[in-house]
Amino acid sequence: MGFVLSVSLRLIAGRSFVAWVMLTVMSLPFLPTRLHAQRTASEIVDEVDRLLRGRSSRATVQMDILTEHWTRSMGMRIWSLGTEYSLIRILSPRKDAGMATLKSGEEIWNYLPRVDRTIKLPASLMGAAWMGSHFTNDDLVKESRIIEDYDIEIGYEGRREGVEVWEFILTPKPDAAVVWGRIEEQVRQDDLMPVWVRYYDDRGDLARTMVFSEFQVMGGRLVPAHMVVEPADKPGESTTIIYRDLEFDIDLEPSYFSLRRLRDDRGSE
Amino acid sequence: MPGGPWWRIGWRNLGRNRRRSLIAASMLAVGYFSCVALMGWADGLVAEMIGNGTGILTGQLQIHASDYLPDRSVYETIGGRDGTNVRQLVEQVAADPDVDAAAPRVYGGGLISSGSATAAAMFLGVDPDLELHVSRIMNALVSGEHPAAGANEVLVGTEIARTLGVSPGDEVVVVAPAIDGSLGNDLFVVSGVFESGLAELDRSFALLPIDALQALMVLPPSRVHEIAAFVRDPWQAPAAAARLDSLIRARGLDVAAESWTTIRPEMVEYAQLTQSFQWVLLLIVFGMAIFGVANTMLMATFERRYEFAVLKALGTTPSGIVGSVLSEALALGAIGLVGGAAVTFPIMVWWHLAPPDMSWLFGDFTMLGALIRPVLRVEYPWTMTVGAAVALFLTTVLAALYPALRSARIPPADTLAGR
Repeated sequence: MGFVLSVSLRLIAGRSFVAWVMLTVMSLPFLPTRLHAQRTASEIVDEVDRLLRGRSSRATVQMDILTEHWTRSMGMRIWSLGTEYSLIRILSPRKDAGMATLKSGEEIWNYLPRVDRTIKLPASLMGAAWMGSHFTNDDLVKESRIIEDYDIEIGYEGRREGVEVWEFILTPKPDAAVVWGRIEEQVRQDDLMPVWVRYYDDRGDLARTMVFSEFQVMGGRLVPAHMVVEPADKPGESTTIIYRDLEFDIDLEPSYFSLRRLRDDRGSE
Repeated sequence: MPGGPWWRIGWRNLGRNRRRSLIAASMLAVGYFSCVALMGWADGLVAEMIGNGTGILTGQLQIHASDYLPDRSVYETIGGRDGTNVRQLVEQVAADPDVDAAAPRVYGGGLISSGSATAAAMFLGVDPDLELHVSRIMNALVSGEHPAAGANEVLVGTEIARTLGVSPGDEVVVVAPAIDGSLGNDLFVVSGVFESGLAELDRSFALLPIDALQALMVLPPSRVHEIAAFVRDPWQAPAAAARLDSLIRARGLDVAAESWTTIRPEMVEYAQLTQSFQWVLLLIVFGMAIFGVANTMLMATFERRYEFAVLKALGTTPSGIVGSVLSEALALGAIGLVGGAAVTFPIMVWWHLAPPDMSWLFGDFTMLGALIRPVLRVEYPWTMTVGAAVALFLTTVLAALYPALRSARIPPADTLAGR
């Protein structure tokens, strides 16, 4: 927080008042860090979530999946609006190009260009892998509800490898329908960047780890450009997401996320 | 054992109170019938369970890549990545003297969808012609017909058909993750609907021609997950599996040939439990009969205490008297056995050939995942047939022992004097 403030002051001295105002406004998302003493763990985790998500976003990502039996790299474009809507369209490889996934509320639809059909995913398949990756369909639907489904407390606060961090422990609320028994998340205190998230199953065994890296400014925000998911039961396997391009708060309406849009990739830029 | 005159005396004594002897013999006969019929029915239930548990889909014998079970990974095909000559392997399995038929299978999981309805499904790729001889699932058609080899046709369970709202002739989308990581998807036509009676199969299974499923999952024709075989006498399957295991391994294929006894051990355990139950059954039935016979013999010998006293006064040894009473009991047992057998055997043959249908009383049910029809079909329980006969004689002898010893100890003078 000191960093942002001192830069601002220098700018006031050296440049115009307008620049100062702009910077203050731009640094607003980082304000919560300065007030963390008064904030609950829940609010911080929620804030981290909002930072990475934005009101809406459009991203071009590369997903590299490494399994014991095959490796593949997929290019895809992702549109999102809040926590309710997202649309993922696969751009490459050629065999899968045009396949798309639409998330609208609790529902997931897939479009299969080869047969020109959309299919709605049954609830029983929410735990299944999405497009062969180490993400589940459930990740697409449920990630948004972390604050609602989990009780969050700070398990550790202090230095790890020279960086001030928080480590949060997320325990499912008694009536929450969630797949994880516990989630642990490490977040850097100064810029609210997530470092890793560990997911534990009902028995308390580590199920998978998500590691964030390559923090850089994309779309006007500091974000981790690399995310790696490693399942604990399949050593050597992983899914890596690399952000190639990211824009936040673009002009998207809920009506954009329609079944028609899912089928028709024209005009979805 | 008593010989000569004691046999005749024992036999004749049975005629002294015919009604009483008949009632005691009937009790033994009913006991014999109960044991044999109950055991026959229990064996019938086991046979039905094994027949259906293995016959509907599993097969009595399966061959997989050695790492395929228990995870059933789609990558673990017979012969590894290169696969094998499937036709040749199937022929080799079918050539085993105990194996009647064999068929290749491919398994996959995925989605089957029609309109806005989608169901998760287990896909079973079969050779429609060969599979008909191995399992009964394809015979469980309720409408439509079998999928044709090479065609994009699918046979679905009744529950899937209901969930999707489809009937034969309708188009469905089939989606299955392929082994190269892509998402195989294609349009199929529902050729028919089956109802196996097993909720699990009817709710989640869809049968496709093996080549169509292989194409969907990017599996070459040489790669299959399973060779399933039909062995007419299920108890011969373990031996056949052992033979085939070493025979196919000798060809350099890392496979595991397993019989249903390994794949479904709970069924073997149930069969063994049923076998051990027969001794309990014997103990209970004849344990009750023993008191009835003892009562009869006590009455009969008490009535005759003057005669025993006279016999002893005339110089008969105590062992002679014991012999006569035991002979009487053995004769009673013989009558009971003949009577019991005369009733039991025809009924057993009848219930084996034309089992009473109890479906008016209760419907189909499942046991250890196997469908059981409500039919009182019996198997012939040979061990029990002999075991119950031995138990019957043991019962009569044991029951007569106390009355016999008591009679032998009668003091002649006191008894004749009425003291």
